[in-house]
Amino acid sequence: MKISPRSWRWLPVVVATAVALAACGSGSDSGDSGSGGAKKITFWLSTAAQIQGYTDLAKEFEAKEGVKVEVVNQPYDGYQDKLRQSAQANSLPDVASVPSLDSLWINKLQDLSATANNETNKIRKDLVTEQDGKVLAIPSDLTAAGLFINKSLFTKAGVSFPTDPEKAWTWDEFLAAASKVRTATKAKYDLVYDNSPARIRAFIYNNGGKGFQLGDDGKYQKPDDATIAALAKFKAMNDDKVMPKSVWTSGADPNALFKSGQVVAYFSGVWQVPDFAEGITSFEWASVPVPGPVQATDINLGGKVVAFDNGDAAAPAKKWVDFIFQKDNYTKLAQSNGYLSVESGLTLAYPFKAKAALDAFALYNKSIEIADPISASGQAAGTKLILEGKAIQEDPTKAEMAKFINGEQDVQKTVENIVNGLNSQLS
Amino acid sequence: MAVTTAPQQPTAVRRRKKQGTTGELPKKIGASAIMWLLAAVYGFPVLWFLLSSLKPAGELFSYPLTFFPKNPTIKGFTQAWTSFDVAKYFVNTLIVSVSATVLTIVASAACGYALAKYKNWWVKAFALCILATTMLPGEVILAPLFLVVRDLGMYNSLSAVVVPAVITATGTFMFRQFFLTVPNDLLEAARIDGASELATLFRIMLPLSRPIMLTLAIFSFQWRWNDYIWPLIVLNDPSKYTLQIGVATIVGAENVNWSVLLGASVLSMIPLVALYLVFQKYVMNADISAGLKD
Amino acid sequence: MVDSIHPTAKAPSGVVPRGPQPARLRLPRWGKRRLNHYTAAPLVLISINLLLFVAFFAWPAVTGLLYSFTSYTGVGDAPYVGLDNYQRLLEDKAFYSALTRTLVFTAGVVPLTIVLSLGTAVLLVTNYTKGKAVARIIFFLPWLISPIIAGVIWRWMFGENFGLVNYVITSLGGSEIAWQSNANLSLIVVIVAAAWGGTAFNMLLFVAALKNVPTAYYEAAALDGAGSWAKFRHITLPAIAPTTFIVVLLSVLGSMKEYALVQAINAGGPGTANNLIVQYIFTKGFQRAQIGYASAASFVLLVVLMIIALVHLWYNRRKES
Repeated sequence: MKISPRSWRWLPVVVATAVALAACGSGSDSGDSGSGGAKKITFWLSTAAQIQGYTDLAKEFEAKEGVKVEVVNQPYDGYQDKLRQSAQANSLPDVASVPSLDSLWINKLQDLSATANNETNKIRKDLVTEQDGKVLAIPSDLTAAGLFINKSLFTKAGVSFPTDPEKAWTWDEFLAAASKVRTATKAKYDLVYDNSPARIRAFIYNNGGKGFQLGDDGKYQKPDDATIAALAKFKAMNDDKVMPKSVWTSGADPNALFKSGQVVAYFSGVWQVPDFAEGITSFEWASVPVPGPVQATDINLGGKVVAFDNGDAAAPAKKWVDFIFQKDNYTKLAQSNGYLSVESGLTLAYPFKAKAALDAFALYNKSIEIADPISASGQAAGTKLILEGKAIQEDPTKAEMAKFINGEQDVQKTVENIVNGLNSQLS
Repeated sequence: MAVTTAPQQPTAVRRRKKQGTTGELPKKIGASAIMWLLAAVYGFPVLWFLLSSLKPAGELFSYPLTFFPKNPTIKGFTQAWTSFDVAKYFVNTLIVSVSATVLTIVASAACGYALAKYKNWWVKAFALCILATTMLPGEVILAPLFLVVRDLGMYNSLSAVVVPAVITATGTFMFRQFFLTVPNDLLEAARIDGASELATLFRIMLPLSRPIMLTLAIFSFQWRWNDYIWPLIVLNDPSKYTLQIGVATIVGAENVNWSVLLGASVLSMIPLVALYLVFQKYVMNADISAGLKD
Repeated sequence: MVDSIHPTAKAPSGVVPRGPQPARLRLPRWGKRRLNHYTAAPLVLISINLLLFVAFFAWPAVTGLLYSFTSYTGVGDAPYVGLDNYQRLLEDKAFYSALTRTLVFTAGVVPLTIVLSLGTAVLLVTNYTKGKAVARIIFFLPWLISPIIAGVIWRWMFGENFGLVNYVITSLGGSEIAWQSNANLSLIVVIVAAAWGGTAFNMLLFVAALKNVPTAYYEAAALDGAGSWAKFRHITLPAIAPTTFIVVLLSVLGSMKEYALVQAINAGGPGTANNLIVQYIFTKGFQRAQIGYASAASFVLLVVLMIIALVHLWYNRRKES
């Protein structure tokens, strides 16, 4: 009996699909060192905001240099992995704004000293990533941790708050004020605090601690007593009256809690400002100085701009980086993207319509200027390690603090576990 | 071999039905009530999700809690639509989903049939191997799998997204369990008639399994539609990106734009629901009997 | 409907009867094989899956297994450390607590999901219900929702601070329930959310299976005066037994690997009380660049799951005979 032709009808479809897919793949190729002299370079970044600032600059760059810049916005979740795998497939972009450097491709980076040392740019020297005189990365922007308050609640309770970082309050004064506001307005909590190792650093610095620092042997040291005291104080604050436990123990979203209008204050950072400007409509909010006694915060770098050495595209890639950081261009970029500037001495006119947002940015810029130098040490340690070929993939602080606040262990054990957890990733 | 029911039966059944109608009503009411109750329980969170996608960002976390939006807006949807190249990513995702689904059904049907009908020891061992593919968390083989795909020259092509996903233990076992319920005398009759094994599969067995094929199609489509980390890693050219990658660009590093994310999620669910309605209608209306009909 | 499996419609017993044995006298015609023993056909049929299995699972898995005997960190070389990773793993208390917590989770989710999916499937297939078209969609939608969004939804409902349920309870005069600070309550929320999301998948499998049961069986039973429950127990359940088997197995394997939903709802909290096994592999392994350790833990998990699967298979075979 012959096999009925009807049933085999599907086979050509299947084969055709497979062939089409294979053809789909091998045909195109992103032009990394493409058509002679590289008329096109790829620029990867990751932002949930607009890439308008970059695409505008790209148009100007094309008009000036005749090289097209393809701006690709990658999702943040998995971006670092994607860079790594692209390196393994020899398909790295030409320029990228990366969350952190990776020892896998660090040797493919070009030297950006010319841009970093350019006197007219005035890029803050302590922020660039340098190794053996070679500048590997320049940050596109800064981020800083900071305190937000529900201004409506404060006004309703008739409690005042400072606006000048040089005349700020201390944590104890702030907590007292917040409790007063809470009881007067029948709000639910005094404060919610971002669940993040970087954010808790600010609290430690404010209370005089030095946090988790790298020792001379290249390993993390046991922190000083002020740090331990600060962490214990933090735990005590998580009593479901001052702060809800659920944020640091079970990942509840502090942003959502603050937006509900039932929390007096929220400790997060500058990246919330554009979101608040648009997203908070049921009450008035404001940025206030970080409480002391030590006037410090956690300063981090936004994306780190690096240029890869991709054959033909290397020269235009370097030119693009240089173009971005030229004073006038960077001013435009920082304004439209809402960046805290890495170049000093710029006058920035942000396009925010909300006064609260404009005030917030002015406050952040001022706070960063007067912040204690320890503020940038967190990210500096991370960078130092990467340059040595090591990396902390996951900071155990979050998990250990969760256990600590949940009552599973005491502060000494917590600190010990954090130090051991960090050091175990360095070997 | 057809046996027709005796002509007397219809009247007997009719008489019985008439007598039984009064007993049927409470059953109908009871069953319907239970179903609606379950639907309410399942639907409540979904309803909140859909209504939230119509809320402006400021209302999403307001307290006291609201169910209905005070100022309904489609801004979340429009922003999601313009956040990335939706049309192109949609087409890419469609290509990936359709081709993967077709290939998956072919591979799973063939393999499931073999696992069900052949008693060779190595076939049984292979069944365990297939099952083993569900036992490793994806991350473990992600990096080595990437190297394999790269070495096969599939990096940066949609085939890299499709081909490794064709093998599925769920699909294979769905067919296996189905073919187990198909009595062997069907197979034997075909063999006696002289049909080759493959012909039996294609001409007789496969058409019987249409509900399984359609159900697997629904599953496979949804799996490929929602793939995220793998397409992100193997695709370099942004013009090949899939929908989920586009949606993920909306999720920020430190804060999430919920109204846009909700809008994007609702939009990306619509094709899946449409597919489900079409296929499931067929499955529900199918009048299947796993028997020999002439 | 014609019942053609048996010449006469008998009231079926509790077991689905198999077909008659193949005729022994007739020798099959092509290829060289013994009676009832084919090689070429099954080989061709499994060829696609076999190739894919070897290329995209076995080979990467073997690489992963080799990593588990090293202290590979994702870059550079992979120094051999023998069974060190496995030893560390089996001495780690956190591993055992994660494993037991996962078993508890699985023991909660699987029965709940099976009952709900079979129930909804029966309700959608039977003639007694009205409004099936709408219900069908409603039951399906939760499965489409991604874990992140599901996390937001369930935290909105069961949030400890501003959740809907606590809001209703406090409005009625009760006191807030610690849905997130109490480890067991938090796990219950995750179990309910997982069952809610996973129902549709199993429901569709059951629907396909239920539709496959010849209605003649039911008619015959009805003539014999069997009630709905008896019909369900003695006809439906045995007839869909193969599907039930696979639903149970896949549900167990799937819940043992649960990660995204737990992360979204309580981040493995409070503290680390609800860290399930895959989260353990992530945090102790991948996120600390301890690829070797993560691979070792993954393979131990594979062994556990394989044991579960084999037990299930053996139990099922015993039930059949």
